[in-house]
Amino acid sequence: MLEGAFVDRKKLTYIMLAFAGIATLVGFLLAFFVAAPAQMLRTLDSGKGAIIGGGFVSNPIDFGQKIFYFHVPVAIASFAVFFFTAFYGVRFLMTRDRIYDTKSRIATEVTLIFVVLTMITGDLWTRWAWGVWWTWEPRLTTYFIMMLLVIGYFVLRASVEDEERRAVYAAAFGIIAFLDAPLSFAITRIVPAGSEAHPVVIGVPGGLDGSQLAAFLISMFGMIAFGYVIYQLRYREERAKERLEVLKTALED
Amino acid sequence: MAEAKRERRGSSWRQYKAILRKDIVMELRTFEMLTSMGLYTLLTLVIYQIALSQSGSGFDVRLIAAGLLWLAFVFTSMLGLNRSLVHEKDQGCLEALLLSPVDRPVIFFAKATGNLVFLLIVQVLTIPLFYVMFLSGRAIGGELWMIPLAMVVGSVGIAGVGTLLATISVNTRGRDFILAVLFVPIMYPLLLAAVGATSAAVLGNPGFVEEFWRDIALAGGYDAIMLLAAYGLYEFVVSA
Repeated sequence: MLEGAFVDRKKLTYIMLAFAGIATLVGFLLAFFVAAPAQMLRTLDSGKGAIIGGGFVSNPIDFGQKIFYFHVPVAIASFAVFFFTAFYGVRFLMTRDRIYDTKSRIATEVTLIFVVLTMITGDLWTRWAWGVWWTWEPRLTTYFIMMLLVIGYFVLRASVEDEERRAVYAAAFGIIAFLDAPLSFAITRIVPAGSEAHPVVIGVPGGLDGSQLAAFLISMFGMIAFGYVIYQLRYREERAKERLEVLKTALED
Repeated sequence: MAEAKRERRGSSWRQYKAILRKDIVMELRTFEMLTSMGLYTLLTLVIYQIALSQSGSGFDVRLIAAGLLWLAFVFTSMLGLNRSLVHEKDQGCLEALLLSPVDRPVIFFAKATGNLVFLLIVQVLTIPLFYVMFLSGRAIGGELWMIPLAMVVGSVGIAGVGTLLATISVNTRGRDFILAVLFVPIMYPLLLAAVGATSAAVLGNPGFVEEFWRDIALAGGYDAIMLLAAYGLYEFVVSA
């Protein structure tokens, strides 16, 4: 029979889906219509204006900054889901219940989705803001490493045939990878001679004002809810597949 | 009964010594791993020469010397880590170890120490060779003793986490490839810190002492955290 209890969270999933959809939509609209515009960082040497579209514009706003309301929420969501990869990995090693291996794998799949989204939006943003497609700046580097870790997780899974062993190895690597991500973050900030090109948005005194903060937080919670929803739907799909297999084998007998 | 238990627990150190001795004696008999690692490093240095051949005489190789040194070292250690475990697996030694009443963490420490010893030996060969080939005639800006220290701190991390990853990768298809795929992202912070420390020592720019110790502290922190994690996880991995 199927191992592990299946707690049916159908209702919660659909509520979260509605919440996620509304939150991201509201966040998106707030970001473009309500949130206070951010000053463009590149201005002429005179300090105040820029030549845009043939005319002189004083205090030009940075429209490309709006991507922040999408980029950072998906990045945070990816970290949040990555935590569950490690968490279910630990649970698997503790209980040897295969259900946790499935959960860990699905969490990593969802992490991969968010990681790819973050990389794409981040890449667009760096091209807009700094004029280059890529730079080895601390946060980008850390994120790149995280992407490599998630890809490595799947490569590892694909190369082990024995199921039990695959689950153990994946769990161990998932835990180590989750530990490595914050280490990477810390060290890449300190070691190279202090590059501070990445906009610091959460800190003292804090770079965001009220309207921007509202848009950002709503987007963030929406994205995390999306992460939860995708995970749950995928998990239900896996369980349905397993049930199908069990039924098939039962029919054959 | 209690006495027997106490005896067994107390002999963790003896178990550790036994496994470590086995690895070292086996290597001393054939020198297989050390020669292959040494030759590999030499060949990497030759490739460096090719890579730098067009850079001209005015090029200050000291700027990238730390990076080159660590690069050669990373590739060699990936080779060495895998080989140390391939023997175990192919000869069935690992199974025998698991059957005997040895604590799994002891196996980890013994293998990690063995790997560390081999890595350090390779370094003793590599650093002078590198100096002779690329740095002779140029002054080392910082203190000379800093370079071996940085190498040792880095090697501890490589040996520890590398042993765990090699134990995983040796049981997969595509062994060396899997080790590389797992090894590089996990080691990235350590390598960054180690190269930073070594570079500070080689270049000796103003303020290099603080930079050196800061990077050593970072590498040491990485070592502590990751060794703890590897130690905790090894038991599960080696008995899978």
